[in-house]
Amino acid sequence: MVNEDGIQVLDKLLSSDVKLSILTLFHNNPGLLDRLEGVALRIGRSASAIEKDAEDLLEIGILQRKKIGNSEVICFDVKRDGEIQGFLSNRILKGGD
Amino acid sequence: MERDAILVAGSAGTGKTTLGLQYLVNGAAKFGENGIYVTFEQMPDQIYRDATNFGWDLRKLEKEKKLKVVCTSPDLLIGGDGEHLLDETIRQLKPRRVVIDSLSHLGMYVEEKNLRKEVYRLLNYFKTKELTSLSTWETSQIAGQELSVTEVGTSFLVDCVVLLRMVEIESTMLKALVVLKMRGSDHDLSLREFKINSHGIRLSKPFIGFQGVVTGIPRRSR
Repeated sequence: MVNEDGIQVLDKLLSSDVKLSILTLFHNNPGLLDRLEGVALRIGRSASAIEKDAEDLLEIGILQRKKIGNSEVICFDVKRDGEIQGFLSNRILKGGD
Repeated sequence: MERDAILVAGSAGTGKTTLGLQYLVNGAAKFGENGIYVTFEQMPDQIYRDATNFGWDLRKLEKEKKLKVVCTSPDLLIGGDGEHLLDETIRQLKPRRVVIDSLSHLGMYVEEKNLRKEVYRLLNYFKTKELTSLSTWETSQIAGQELSVTEVGTSFLVDCVVLLRMVEIESTMLKALVVLKMRGSDHDLSLREFKINSHGIRLSKPFIGFQGVVTGIPRRSR
């Protein structure tokens, strides 16, 4: 279940071009599993430039952290993404009340 | 052979990725063997798109839990302490086949003196997971007399080496395949032409009447 307020979720999802780039990257490539640096490289940015936006997406659960060996990697949570999409879709159909 | 490590070497555009994908798609569709495709530089969305040119719906295979396309950085695949990058996927998918495209990319992250050891470690990881691995390896030359499969001795670590090669015959570039090594087997040593059509790679007839095909610049036999 998604408990966050719809506006907050929307804000966290779409408040920057970087977030949109990260989300598009993971939507198109759901098997991507990489360090923050690797994710940044794949959207033509630096790790420091995407850190804050990635953190927001991690916070709402659409991205997940995993410990692989000695590294921390980021991956896409397809289930959570589906939940959020369903939630937002319902909010839009209900007129955002 | 099951649990073998296969190396497919060739320069850019020779069909290594297509061969790797075909190996996985055939495994899932014809033999009931699930597979993992690991890519480093080429993004999965491009691979999904290119695969449709051959009638392979990789997204559908992923939904059916017969295939998983993993995109990551090469050094993460080597592992370290704790969980390996592919442990969870292997537990979930129970694959029999894995394709690494391309193993040579490890060279960008691992010192040359350690590369052979790390490749050895990775191939043994796959064997302990009862996976047959097919790894691609980029060679630099498109055509020419120099023939080196890998510079770091990787071909000694694998059970089978397949070389894909562009050859020039009568002003036309053709594609040739030869099995250079197959451990424990008296394998076919003939150089065969292959074509990539709308169904993937199709092996054709051996090159007859030419010598020096493997150098890329054959001459007619007298």
